[in-house]
Amino acid sequence: MSFAAFWKRNLGFFKMAIASNVEYRMNYFIDAVAQPSVTAVIEILLWVGIFRTAGSATIGGFGLQDYLAYVLWGAFFARIAASWMYEFRMIEEIDSGSVNGLLVRPMSFYEYYLSQLMGYKFITTGVSFLIPLSVGAAMGWNIHYDRLPMAVLLVFFYLILVHSISFVVSTCAFFLNRIYALTVAKNLALWTLTGELIPLDLMPEPFRSWILILPFPSGVFIPVGYLTGRVGADAVAQGFVSVAVSLILVNALGLFMWKKGLRSYSGTGA
Amino acid sequence: MSIAIETKDLSRVYQSYRKPEGVWNSIKGLWDRQHIEKVALKPTTLSIEPGQIVGLVGANGAGKTTLLKMLSGLIVPSSGEATVLGYKPWERKHEFLKQISILLGQKNQLWWDLAPYDSFSLLARIYDLDLDKARARVNELAKRLQCTHVLETQLRRLSLGERMKMEIIGALLHEPAVLFLDEPTIGLDMIAQESIRDFLADYVRSRGPTVILTSHYMDDIAQLAHKLLLISKGAIVYEGTVENFTRATEDVRTFSFRFAEELPADLALPEGHVLKAGQKDHQLKILPQHLGILMPEIARAGILQDLKMEETDFEDVIRGFLEKESRIL
Repeated sequence: MSFAAFWKRNLGFFKMAIASNVEYRMNYFIDAVAQPSVTAVIEILLWVGIFRTAGSATIGGFGLQDYLAYVLWGAFFARIAASWMYEFRMIEEIDSGSVNGLLVRPMSFYEYYLSQLMGYKFITTGVSFLIPLSVGAAMGWNIHYDRLPMAVLLVFFYLILVHSISFVVSTCAFFLNRIYALTVAKNLALWTLTGELIPLDLMPEPFRSWILILPFPSGVFIPVGYLTGRVGADAVAQGFVSVAVSLILVNALGLFMWKKGLRSYSGTGA
Repeated sequence: MSIAIETKDLSRVYQSYRKPEGVWNSIKGLWDRQHIEKVALKPTTLSIEPGQIVGLVGANGAGKTTLLKMLSGLIVPSSGEATVLGYKPWERKHEFLKQISILLGQKNQLWWDLAPYDSFSLLARIYDLDLDKARARVNELAKRLQCTHVLETQLRRLSLGERMKMEIIGALLHEPAVLFLDEPTIGLDMIAQESIRDFLADYVRSRGPTVILTSHYMDDIAQLAHKLLLISKGAIVYEGTVENFTRATEDVRTFSFRFAEELPADLALPEGHVLKAGQKDHQLKILPQHLGILMPEIARAGILQDLKMEETDFEDVIRGFLEKESRIL
């Protein structure tokens, strides 16, 4: 298999995801703009409320403005770092037997969905980032815009891990029907572990140290913390390493599950 | 290569579990499930030559789709061996997958949200085809299938017949050496069926791929297949030419007629036929050469108001054949 052929077809999946997503304009704008904006507004109100009730200028060493900048960017980074929609599709594909149409073609299920996920995130991120960029600039919040490319790079690297985890979850559909509850439970855990719910430096020890070793903070806490000055470049480097190691482990598990799953697969529905 | 497809004792067993009726049994199923095994395909040995068109026929659940799925690499056999173009299908090597195509009549394989042109362009990338040549081929196939007008319409907005034509173009775009067609005309109206059948006949004549075709429609098989495999309860019970099969079964006709009055009592007819009492409408499965013996008896039984002789449908032909086979065995 030549690399050119691999690249060509994956670029095709990437473009297909863009074409499919912009086809349904209303859904696209709600998904890219309204959904993360609503999350950000709720979190902003929550933190304003916390600071007013606390009657303190800082919490955990950071002021209200720092928290507002964090939750604003956090909502949009969390939007990138989530793949539940594609995970549901992957599960459904195996559960219903639609995966047959992919299995008989010279490509892999993993790459097919990864490239689509990247295409989808690319087209939504391009538009949705305009919101925190313009709000941040208008409010004059302390945001290190020069760090934005590295933060985005880290979250997209983390996204590959998220996809790999989704791949492992979806392979469970070979053995069990209806495993959507697993996705929901996993997403709830990630909501906390990425730092979307609260900045991870507010977590009590020893949980804080434990969580920071894991790859999940690379989804929200590290890139947003780096952007808003909560963490330094060393945390970003650690994030890349942690995600890279996890990618090897999770993909090894995914490959094992996939091969085992195909052996028991009955090609349902066709 | 002298043999395109070869299997030796290829079999597949599916695992399932029994689900007794009632809520309590559903709850009990959380910790106690009665697993069962179903043999979908018994050990099967066959060989198909390159360029041969094989009709795989059988009732629902007979095992034909299971065989097709194993040969196309979709599922792994429980035991036995198979090679298609020299490859083990379930290893799903890209060199193998580039040379085969499977068309599932009951399943969309193209992308629901895309217009066919976009889907074909994506397929061209997947199969590493030259994009210009692929587009020219799409146009050529669409012209032959008379569906050029729908190439820029989203797949989800097309009729079933149009969608099937698009699926056919998608399946043939990379010019597969082996083509698996699983009920390609299912659910289509007569005109669409005929159009697709003519197209496929023309295509296989001109390009010469090895084809395994499953269908419930006798016309599909009769028009396209050189060889027939009849499969029943997971085993191949007939392997031979379509002509020989047709010769063995074609004489059976359905003879229907109506009397003005109901018959007062059962009436025995020659060749073991019986007309039931208390009904005006009757139907007999007869051989045409018996008509001369039966007709005078029927005419004597009452005043005939209507009569009709027609070919027995394919399911009945298969059933008749299987009954005959079991008598011989």
